[in-house]
Amino acid sequence: MAETTQDDVVFRPKPSLPPPPNTVGVVGWLRKNLFGGPFDSLLTIVGVSLIAYVAYSLYQYGIANAVWEADTYRECLDVTKGNGACWAGVSTWMNGYMYGRYPDVEQWRVNLAGVVLAVWLAPFWFPKIKAKILVGMSAVLTFPFLAAHLFLGGEAGLFLQVMVAVAMTLFATVWLNVGASYLGYPSLRVALLRLSGFENKGDHLHKYVLLGAFGVGFVIAFAYQSTWELAAVPTQNWGGLFLTLVISGIGISSALPSGIILALGRRSKMPVIRVFCTAFIELFRSVPLITILFMAVTMMPLFLPVEINPDKLVLVIVAVCIFAAAYMAEIVRGGLQAINKGQYEAAQAMGLNYWKMMTLIIMPQALKVMIPNIVGNFIGLLKDTTLVSIIGLYDILLMAKASGQDGKWLGMHTEPFLFTAAVFFVVCFCMSKYSQHLERTIGGGYGRR
Amino acid sequence: MAVLEKGSPRRQSRSIIEWLNDERVRSVLYQAIVAIAVIAVARYLFVNTSENLQARGMSSGFDFLSGTAGFSIAWTVLPYEAGDSYFRVYLVGIVNTLIVSLVAIVFATLLGFIMGIMRLSKNWLISKIAAWYVEILRNTPLLLQILFWFLAVFSLLPPPRGSFGLLDMFFLNNRGFYMPAPVPGAGFDYTMIAILLAIAATYAVAVWAKKRQMATGQQFHTFWVGLGILFGLPILVFLATGSPLSFDFAALKGFNFQGGVSVPPAFCALLLALMIYHSAFMAEAVRAGILSVSHGQTEAAYSLGLRPGMTLRLVIIPQAMRAVVPPMISNWMNVVKNSSLAIAIGYPDLVAVYMQTSLNQSGHAIEIVAMVMLFYMSVSLTISMALNYYNKLVQLKER
Repeated sequence: MAETTQDDVVFRPKPSLPPPPNTVGVVGWLRKNLFGGPFDSLLTIVGVSLIAYVAYSLYQYGIANAVWEADTYRECLDVTKGNGACWAGVSTWMNGYMYGRYPDVEQWRVNLAGVVLAVWLAPFWFPKIKAKILVGMSAVLTFPFLAAHLFLGGEAGLFLQVMVAVAMTLFATVWLNVGASYLGYPSLRVALLRLSGFENKGDHLHKYVLLGAFGVGFVIAFAYQSTWELAAVPTQNWGGLFLTLVISGIGISSALPSGIILALGRRSKMPVIRVFCTAFIELFRSVPLITILFMAVTMMPLFLPVEINPDKLVLVIVAVCIFAAAYMAEIVRGGLQAINKGQYEAAQAMGLNYWKMMTLIIMPQALKVMIPNIVGNFIGLLKDTTLVSIIGLYDILLMAKASGQDGKWLGMHTEPFLFTAAVFFVVCFCMSKYSQHLERTIGGGYGRR
Repeated sequence: MAVLEKGSPRRQSRSIIEWLNDERVRSVLYQAIVAIAVIAVARYLFVNTSENLQARGMSSGFDFLSGTAGFSIAWTVLPYEAGDSYFRVYLVGIVNTLIVSLVAIVFATLLGFIMGIMRLSKNWLISKIAAWYVEILRNTPLLLQILFWFLAVFSLLPPPRGSFGLLDMFFLNNRGFYMPAPVPGAGFDYTMIAILLAIAATYAVAVWAKKRQMATGQQFHTFWVGLGILFGLPILVFLATGSPLSFDFAALKGFNFQGGVSVPPAFCALLLALMIYHSAFMAEAVRAGILSVSHGQTEAAYSLGLRPGMTLRLVIIPQAMRAVVPPMISNWMNVVKNSSLAIAIGYPDLVAVYMQTSLNQSGHAIEIVAMVMLFYMSVSLTISMALNYYNKLVQLKER
């Protein structure tokens, strides 16, 4: 009797019922996210029909009624009656969209430079490689010379030849370093010393060995590049996506260093430097890029001595660099302001001087905070590069426009623009996704935990 | 002696290094170097410029402003004829730029708010549609979008005879967009005065109602009363004075439309492109602003017994505005700057008529570029001053 009462007193929960079938699984998800109420359901139905309509029209225009092979836009129109795309024109012009009027037989040089840059920077993404600064700095500082020589061709001056040889040697260094790392050496330096047998023969000899190795590489590279015979391609013939990438690439790689210098100048305690930097930043940030470009092509030739007749592309690149630097400076300033004052004080208390404090303590933290804004700025710069088409450089946008004004393909506007938009979308979208990935991986440890 | 002779220069040199290591001295030194460098570069540029101008036989100065500009401008808001001065061209360009920017700003902000709120919708599909809208528009260049609208849409519209019409009042064809023009008759001034009075009265009622609510806690239906005054008073006056407003309708006469107000296709394309492109950025600003208000605020408001509508109006929106307005205003600034891309499709904005046509004709590159930059800088400074004022106004009052 007593035992049974005790049994009765003990609370025995009944097993919980399964959730109602309409709140789990596909049905539950649909009810929660698409059909939460009458208004929600209406919105969903409108949305679905909108998507269906757009998708159907795009399919009809881009695939079902599209023409893939034709010789003129007229032929396309005869088939499509204006209801379909004429991709034949786009594929005919593809070479123009990519390279502009760069001679067909020389286009391998552009491709080669692209491949070299990709291979050069690839070790960035190898987890084992330590010397990422070497990879980045060598590429940023010397690749432009190699690329300039490849793109321009013709007779190179001695300086350019030396720089090209240095670039090739550094490229080899980067990849030998990768090889050494994967063969089990801590670094290329150690590998060289060990293989040459100098590892244990006194530290003072080490640098001669390393310099000697670099010198041998340089001489080989120099001798090799002096055998090149590249036909000259003037910048007027550069164009298409290639030109867009050249301008924006130079703008992007120069923006960060010059932006950092300007931002530090603007936050400096020295009034003269602060005033100059602030004036520079505010001036170029408050005017549209197109006015800076106009200024570059109309006023810059007046500013320079009469005997210098600068190339239009050079002027444009200078303008883009100025513009990018001014915008980047404000982003860097924002990042610097986001750093806790305690970090500055702690660095000073450790006895670090200004430059050490900035390079070792402040900048690494600030750059992490700034990643989304920096990448956003790069995307903006890539898009803004299309403005050079207004002053007559045949970038991808002007090529797209020109293709619809050409005799055979007269009137073809939608297709080239859709193609160009797709190119930009893919590049920019990937950049922004990659920046979100970076934010998650290296930006971690700062802010919310 | 020998020791002294050896020691003294060393001590002296050390004192120079010590002196150089003094932070204040260094600071002066750096600044002097920078100042001298900047002045030297400026002087170099100035000398080159004057030599260049002399070599090309060009004059400098602003005398050319009163000279006649021999070209005509396709579409102007300010009256302009081909014989007017260059200064007139400058003003015409500024007004054309401001008109298209203002209209674009209004529509882009509306669209941006709609898209930003859609992006936050609980409905998965709606939020995805808004997300893709934003991604696609943000990741393609504005110039491309402008050219697309102009060349692939507005230029392919039918000619005036086959134009799209709405209610026989609005027409769209490849010559532009036509709408009725209001023609004020005698006595319309009274209606304008009534509108101004109604605005003042509404403001006064709002101030009074706020005061009364603060003092007694009683609420007043400011919104409905204000709406009544705003619309009622002008309409009454308008009817009392005998409806002195007529419309000039656009109508097809011969090969083209006559009468009404019209804007060219370039205006439509630029407006549409600016509006859609910037609405994507504004949608992101709205979304980030609303997300920046923590959910605790909503819960606190509910626990105080506020209804969802009141929570949104009194708690969420005022706090979200603090985060939405600054990026929104800098987006407005970008609309003004980006309207300069009009030059690509031949809409006569400041850059097109002044920095291109006038510059090519008069050759006064430096003066003209400086004047155009001055305009954009003053717009930018005005906007950033307004922004600073707003920030000061809404700044969190902390201890």
